[in-house]
Amino acid sequence: MRERRATTGFKVAGIATGKSNGAKSSRKEPIKSVNPKQTATKPKKRAAPAQEESDDDLEDFGNVEIDINSDEEDEEIDENDAEESDNEVEEFPEDQSEGEEEDVAADENEDEDEDDDYMAGDSLDEEDWNEEAKISQRPTKLPEIEANYDSDSSTEDVENTVGNVPMEWYDDFPHIGYDIDGKRVLRPAKGDELEKFLSTMDDPDSWRSVSVDKEGKDMVLNDEELDIIRRIQGGDIPDADYNPYEPTVEWFSSKKEVMPLSAAPEPKRRFIPSKWEAKKVMKIVRAIRTGRIVPRKPATEKPRFYNLWGDEDEPREDHIMHIPAPKMKLPEHDESYNPPEEYLPTEQEIKEWKDLDPEDRPKNYLPTKYNSLRQVPAYGRFIQERFERCLDLYLAPRVRKNRLNIDPDSLIPKLPSPKDLQPFPTQQSISYEGHTGRIRCFSLDPVGLYMISGSDDQTVRLWEISTGRCLNTWTFDGVIHSIAWNPNRELCLFAVSVGHGNVTLITPPRIGSPEQISLTDEYIQQGYAAMSTAGSDDKEARNPIPWVKPNAADQEKLGYRVHLSHTQAVKQITWHRKGDYFATVAPDAKNLAVLIHQITKYQTQAPFRKLKGLVQRVMFHPTKPLFFVATQLYVRVYNLMKQELIKTLQSGVKWISSLDVHPGGDNVIVGSYDKRLCWFDLDLSARPYKTLRYHSQAIRQVTFHRRYPLFASASDDGSIQIFHGMVYNDLLQNPLIVPVKILRGHQVVNSLGVLDIEFHPTQPWIVSSGADHSLRLWT
Amino acid sequence: MAETTESEQVQVRFTTQQQQYAITESAIFVPANFKRYGLSGIVNHLLGNDKPIPFDFLINGELLRTSLSQYLVANNVSSENVISIEYVESMLPPTPVSAFQHDDWISSVKGQQSSQLFLTGSYDSMVRLWNMSGECVATLEGHADAVKSVAFGAATDNEVVVYSTSLDQTVIAWEYSLVDSSYRVLYQCKGHKGSVEAVAVDQTKKKFATASADATVKVWGVKDPSEEQSIEFLDIKNKKRRKTDSTESHKVKSFCQTLNGHVGPVTSVIFDNKDSNIVYTGGWDHSIRSWDVEQQVNVTTKNCEKVVLDVAQSNQSKMVATGHGDKIIRIWDPRADDAIAVSMSLTGHTNWVSSVSWSPNSEYTLCSGSYDSTVRVWDIRSKGSLFTIQEEDKKDKIYSVHWDGDKILSGGEDKKLNIHQAKI
Repeated sequence: MRERRATTGFKVAGIATGKSNGAKSSRKEPIKSVNPKQTATKPKKRAAPAQEESDDDLEDFGNVEIDINSDEEDEEIDENDAEESDNEVEEFPEDQSEGEEEDVAADENEDEDEDDDYMAGDSLDEEDWNEEAKISQRPTKLPEIEANYDSDSSTEDVENTVGNVPMEWYDDFPHIGYDIDGKRVLRPAKGDELEKFLSTMDDPDSWRSVSVDKEGKDMVLNDEELDIIRRIQGGDIPDADYNPYEPTVEWFSSKKEVMPLSAAPEPKRRFIPSKWEAKKVMKIVRAIRTGRIVPRKPATEKPRFYNLWGDEDEPREDHIMHIPAPKMKLPEHDESYNPPEEYLPTEQEIKEWKDLDPEDRPKNYLPTKYNSLRQVPAYGRFIQERFERCLDLYLAPRVRKNRLNIDPDSLIPKLPSPKDLQPFPTQQSISYEGHTGRIRCFSLDPVGLYMISGSDDQTVRLWEISTGRCLNTWTFDGVIHSIAWNPNRELCLFAVSVGHGNVTLITPPRIGSPEQISLTDEYIQQGYAAMSTAGSDDKEARNPIPWVKPNAADQEKLGYRVHLSHTQAVKQITWHRKGDYFATVAPDAKNLAVLIHQITKYQTQAPFRKLKGLVQRVMFHPTKPLFFVATQLYVRVYNLMKQELIKTLQSGVKWISSLDVHPGGDNVIVGSYDKRLCWFDLDLSARPYKTLRYHSQAIRQVTFHRRYPLFASASDDGSIQIFHGMVYNDLLQNPLIVPVKILRGHQVVNSLGVLDIEFHPTQPWIVSSGADHSLRLWT
Repeated sequence: MAETTESEQVQVRFTTQQQQYAITESAIFVPANFKRYGLSGIVNHLLGNDKPIPFDFLINGELLRTSLSQYLVANNVSSENVISIEYVESMLPPTPVSAFQHDDWISSVKGQQSSQLFLTGSYDSMVRLWNMSGECVATLEGHADAVKSVAFGAATDNEVVVYSTSLDQTVIAWEYSLVDSSYRVLYQCKGHKGSVEAVAVDQTKKKFATASADATVKVWGVKDPSEEQSIEFLDIKNKKRRKTDSTESHKVKSFCQTLNGHVGPVTSVIFDNKDSNIVYTGGWDHSIRSWDVEQQVNVTTKNCEKVVLDVAQSNQSKMVATGHGDKIIRIWDPRADDAIAVSMSLTGHTNWVSSVSWSPNSEYTLCSGSYDSTVRVWDIRSKGSLFTIQEEDKKDKIYSVHWDGDKILSGGEDKKLNIHQAKI
């Protein structure tokens, strides 16, 4: 058992040395230190088993040396080597036994005998014997201790066989144990202290004797043992021979040892450049040149995580036909199958959603709550949605459009601040209370002290502007459609259109000065005289409608001057600036839609034999003998003197509602029922210079201020918008239009808001009337 | 009082011009967090008044409306120095005394302390005289249309002369007898071609001026028209007018001095307090003009941006206050020559200021009536109004206010002559 163990121990050591020595020659050195003789005598034999083992284990090392392109020849060489080693394997057990012998050299003789038996069949050299003898003679060599259980005890010559028990157990007995034959070992006699002292004095070795308990005897330590004790006491390594500072053995050196496996000369092809390799290299070179391969390119690190909803799609090659797909909107909370409560629509919201046209719905789904994902039904609109998607792809393919990247702010013209454009009306100051119907029309007297208003409650009221006092009321039997104060300051007269075509001229009592009253009377009388002097047949021909003188009581009490009976309802009355002529518009009256009346002659003319389109508004030019007629789509400018059409203004709106001419006469504003306000510069073009669309509902009235550079528009959305509209004398400078103020306050009743507006003739004030029965002054 | 507070203290010296309330002029320490009320308490304590008199405090001519420390911070005044504080007896909030109901809107109110009468002009074309007890002692009928303005003329022990202007373009001078409560029309003044908006009587009661919407101002003598006949006949135009008005039995006065210059309706006219030859007018043409009556010349013109609705001059300080269509009361110095000489603007009203009237007793206090239905009392030394008189939930415009002695009269759309007690 022990021998085998020792053998395997060596073998392991041998393998270890073999392995560690890739370069085979260097392995001798360490063995020499242990057993220099053996290695010196048998270098060949030692090499053989190592070589054999290296066949399997040392391939790595072999590769280091051998050319990559190892040939069959090399392999043959290897095989040869292997065969050689095979031959030597037979010697291996012998080798082992040698190793074992040297290990157990210090053992007992019996062992040696056994060894002898074992080695009997072997051819042992004489040298081996000599070697053995030499080993036994070495006094300094301490017995080699094997780290086995009780390994030392077997080598000792023990008389007492009690074993390893405490000896105090035998203190009360005369013997101290038993010998190998079972007989008692008696306690050796012990002298007293004196004897001991004497003996120490006598015995020169007493200082080095130690009592051994088990034996009960003293043992004398030899010099070696003393040396060991001394060394231990001195803190040295006990073994005197052990040199802790041996020179380093480079087992694993960086030096490369060339040890060809075969002595055969290198084949020729080793020295010829490989064509195949050259091809391969050239391929790579070409790739590098063309840039397909970038040598030593730093590896691009791929991100671990990708942002699914990231900003940009992966940029693709720039191609004109490539249109990146539109980004999908991120899903929101209410798209969840289990949205939070606040996202769930209420009953009313559901109803509203259902009432809406599918195209108008802001979302094409209603947030719905399911308790679990399992309960979510199949998507009902799937087919529909696919179909719509197909329609989109088919009918609305994505097209690349060139978009100009312009800062929207830079497109806004630099307009002056409204603060610098004051004065303009900013707030409501006075409300004129009294009317009980919607107030369709009103008019301010040319001085700006009084105002007349006509309402659906069939009354006309006269107001004092600065106080809000109603000074007079006229009651009629019809809705008041239009009312207009004579612009001549010398006169005190206004015209009112009532019901179905009655136009009455009224001089309000007590308002005008005596001069005004008398002049007005003069005007009226003059006309009456003119009518009466004219021939009856002639009169009929000239006057398409009759002028009737009211009775004396009405004249005196109510101030009625003349009645004119139109065939159709008169929607607009407008005066010529001199106050002699006034024009009426009755849109339904066909060729008598526009009539021009002259007070001083009691004369009515129908200037247009045939009118194209429904006349909406007419206006006299403030200075020239021009006449503006607004039909639904166009504004035509006629010269009354030459009786010809001068210009047609194309507004581009669908239905003109109102018209006003700038006091300078060269600019016209037009309001329309389709929310637009067009500013025409007559010198510039027949098309609008500016089209403003600020109202959310139809525009009812537009008006210029006679003195200040202001104009305003009133709309059914209940607001009045005030604009700064500066017209320059310099013909090269275009009018400046700046929105300055939105006046809100009128309520919208039956989708009618502000019905009429007019600026104060002298102050920067505006008066407005609305469907909410109110008449307001804004200052 | 001062010992109890441990806050910062400032050294102040109290001064006053009201000798009856004079206290020692030595500087005393007061806590800096004191406001008007605390300071008033100190002064009352120093005076030893049993019944405290409320005082107002002026620092550098500005009324103290915050605490002393806030004032010092706001005006960047060092608290180390002795602060000189002038104190005056403060004005008590106006208290409503009575309200006299009318049949129609009131366009103008005036009071006369000497005769203990109130005069109102109404839109029902009546001029009414009220005594202190709220009785309508006389209703002067004669105008054909709404009365726009009224004024007291010369008053004797038995008679009071009253002028009224109307929308019917006439001015009527009435004589009311205190003895038998009867009235008669002295004469009717014709000549205006528009509504006569305002009338003013000078200090001497020898002249009165009227302003009209026809952009003219006329100054009339108070003499009976029969004494001026000779001149009248020379005027052809007047002759013609006489013809038309022949049906009326009143004497017609048409001789006057006409001040032409306004380019829009003239809304108000006043005589200078001292000099009857000077007239101030304001109108819709945004100008405030002063006129030399004898020479019929426009002396100065001061322009602002807004319509002038009323002009009033303080009889104490000669400053002119104007109410405007932009909610602002402007204070002018009529003696300044520059075209724009607004010395102060009082803001607070939320609509047109239709009427202003100075306190007869104080050069700093005035009241104003506005279309926002409030009457406000202002101290020009203080920012913002002192008091606001407003009846709850009223939207009625106020057309006229007049500060008569210790009473503030106001009238307007609510058809009431409201009288408030305002002592100063």
